[in-house]
Amino acid sequence: MPAATGDELRIVGFLCNWCSYGGADTAGVGRFQQPTDLRIIRVPCSGRIDPLFILRALFHGADGVLVSGCHPRDCHYSEGNLYARRRLEVLKRFLPILGMDERRFEYTWVSASEGKKWQTVVHKFTEAIHELGPAPALSEAQVARAQAVAADAA
Amino acid sequence: MEAKFIPGDKVPAWLAELAKERRTAVPRREGEAVVFRPFAPDQPVPLGRQATTPPKGSVFPQCEPLMVFRYEKDPASPDTSQVRVKETIDETPRLVVGGRPCDARGFATFDRVYDAEDVKDLNYLARREHTAFITMACPRPSSTCFCHWVGSGPADTECSDVLMTPVEGGYVLEPVTETGGELLGSGLLEDAGKRLDEAHVVHKRAAEGLGEAPDLSETPGKLLELFDDMGFWEEVSAKCISCGACTYLCPTCYCFNITDEACGAEGARLRTWDNCMSYQFTMEASGHNPRPTKAHRLKNRVGHKFSYYPTIHGGAIACCGCGRCIKHCPVSVDIREIVLKATAAEPAEQE
Amino acid sequence: MSLLDEMKGRIKERLPELDVVIGWQRGFDPLHATPLFMRGEEDVDRLVLDPLCVHNLATYLTGLRDKKVGVVVKGCDSRSVIELLQEKLLDRENITVFGFPCEGVVSLKKIAREVDLDLVEDARVEGDTVKVTVDGGEKSFPLAEVAADKCGRCRYHNALLSDEFVGEPVTEPEADEYADVAEFESRPLEERAGHWREAMQRCIRCYACRNACPLCVCRDHCVAHCRDPHWITEQDTVDEKWFFQVIHAMHLAGRCTECGECERACPVGIPLLLLKRKLNKEVEELFDYRAGTKVEATPPLMAFQVEEENINERGW
Repeated sequence: MPAATGDELRIVGFLCNWCSYGGADTAGVGRFQQPTDLRIIRVPCSGRIDPLFILRALFHGADGVLVSGCHPRDCHYSEGNLYARRRLEVLKRFLPILGMDERRFEYTWVSASEGKKWQTVVHKFTEAIHELGPAPALSEAQVARAQAVAADAA
Repeated sequence: MEAKFIPGDKVPAWLAELAKERRTAVPRREGEAVVFRPFAPDQPVPLGRQATTPPKGSVFPQCEPLMVFRYEKDPASPDTSQVRVKETIDETPRLVVGGRPCDARGFATFDRVYDAEDVKDLNYLARREHTAFITMACPRPSSTCFCHWVGSGPADTECSDVLMTPVEGGYVLEPVTETGGELLGSGLLEDAGKRLDEAHVVHKRAAEGLGEAPDLSETPGKLLELFDDMGFWEEVSAKCISCGACTYLCPTCYCFNITDEACGAEGARLRTWDNCMSYQFTMEASGHNPRPTKAHRLKNRVGHKFSYYPTIHGGAIACCGCGRCIKHCPVSVDIREIVLKATAAEPAEQE
Repeated sequence: MSLLDEMKGRIKERLPELDVVIGWQRGFDPLHATPLFMRGEEDVDRLVLDPLCVHNLATYLTGLRDKKVGVVVKGCDSRSVIELLQEKLLDRENITVFGFPCEGVVSLKKIAREVDLDLVEDARVEGDTVKVTVDGGEKSFPLAEVAADKCGRCRYHNALLSDEFVGEPVTEPEADEYADVAEFESRPLEERAGHWREAMQRCIRCYACRNACPLCVCRDHCVAHCRDPHWITEQDTVDEKWFFQVIHAMHLAGRCTECGECERACPVGIPLLLLKRKLNKEVEELFDYRAGTKVEATPPLMAFQVEEENINERGW
């Protein structure tokens, strides 16, 4: 699944600054091999994640979205992830009626010390997304926008 | 130019012929609604009653790019970039079949503003000039119709190119303009002959069905007198929920908004329908809003249509009486009721 | 004394202490009711109370927060009032609720499938029959057949909260099985996505769905109009319109009382209630919670339990 084989998919990860982002760092420092499909966006807390972030990513061509926060009871702000858990679970269960495969969205808890666990999470989720394959084709308007962004970056 | 007749069963074949020459929009049933869509041979064309949405978008789309732009960097001096702009003028030949006289006549309200002596809206004009209308005369008015209030009627031909009237076995087609005459060249059409009289009977009966129109000559002045009477406007707007259904379904509402939607180095300057029922309608950058409540905004809607517009455009009312704003309002706000109430209002005591 | 007369009497009794009482009156034709704002006794005489009174009048309450307001509610509408009180968007002492047992409201969309609504001359409800005269001919419909879908599965016909209750409470039916949601979700994924994309194509972005919703309380500050962050562009593509509906539904998760005003208000008939029903089904399964049933409850997405009973966290 590495980029070199040319079949990389687009997975967006929203990671809590205080734990999972650190966990991903730990995995990197430990040189644990990981698939490269995941694009990480750092957020201050999983409680900061508005479900719109996830829907927006899925609506605009992400093949998968992964949210990772601190373990329940371990939130840096004491209860952000507890609110997040409810929202994320409701969102996951909402997707089927929209005609979206709920397996394209997952959430988990990884602490800053769990580099090994982070590696497992990324592996498993990336594998699951590859089993599902690319998300259904985008509309023409979305493709045009994506191309504009790509041209801008080049 | 002679009136023609088309048997009902030949209408699809005729539309297919027309659709080859022009991009043709016809009514189509979608769910509970009837909307205008490009003609498709395999889709039925419901011509029976007024469509839910007017064909306004054929000439004035809900969203159209006025221009597209792109920022480009000069490789020789990377610090500077220039913007390339391309205007988008759409001159595609179009045809709208199955709108009502009120739907077509709505563009008369547009024309006075966008095709004025001193201001020409080129994007609008390009579409307007290249769009023809084959309009269906109304055989029977509905409970929400009031086109006769605003100087029109069920067989009004203003802004139409062909008037189509349902008669026994098919439709009589009367050319109104030269373009209309050209649209009636098909071999599928027969001479109308005596059926033309039948059509005129239909027109007469429909007009009679509408009954007497009230006298609105005093209305513009009365509405101005009521301008500062917020009590009046709060009362008549109490049930309004301030959505945009009335405006977006209105064949004469022509207000628009302009936004730049950019993505990366590329973008478009979009013109989209605006809506005076919306809080953002006249929201100023400073945060001040001259129309902060729904009462102010409904006052604007009624005042604009029945007072301010007629005052500067020779008495022409900016309403075509199609009744969609009444019929599809989620809470049945009735503009007729407000206009009558304002017209009958006694001027408030001056302090 | 008829239900209507009794209601008029109660409203007249309370009116002197209130700024306004919101009810319904006859609209532009006999089939359409329209909201009525009663300030004096003569206004009360225009009140109607029958299954044609479809609107959820709780929608107006947040806009009149500084006034003493009375509101006539059906069962589903009373839930909206409760939800608003729960979220502290209303002050209990300023609200006087006039409740009555509702036996379902008429869906004009269903009537429109049978008769031409443009030509309605008369309409009345007699017992459980709706009689509509169109073009000189009278047609009768059993109320159960032309009632809104929401009424067939309603568990709250009697107003759950009222200061004045008029009439005899009706027996509440069995639980809602969410059969409509199950049926829709039994269709293939692509078909579900296609269904929404097709329906959203005709959306005109009038936001009647949002403005008719009693719980869409952001009102003039909706995410749909915000330029920064720019969640939704002004383009009229299906993507933008559909994204708004999904946001709208998410904002109502655990709050929607299923009055169905979003769907009823839509001028182009987009079946929006299904999205909110799905969320309510999940919220009920997860948190054993139904919106707008208890004033002292907290909406589930504004609360948490350290150990969630029904959230099965997937181990990795």
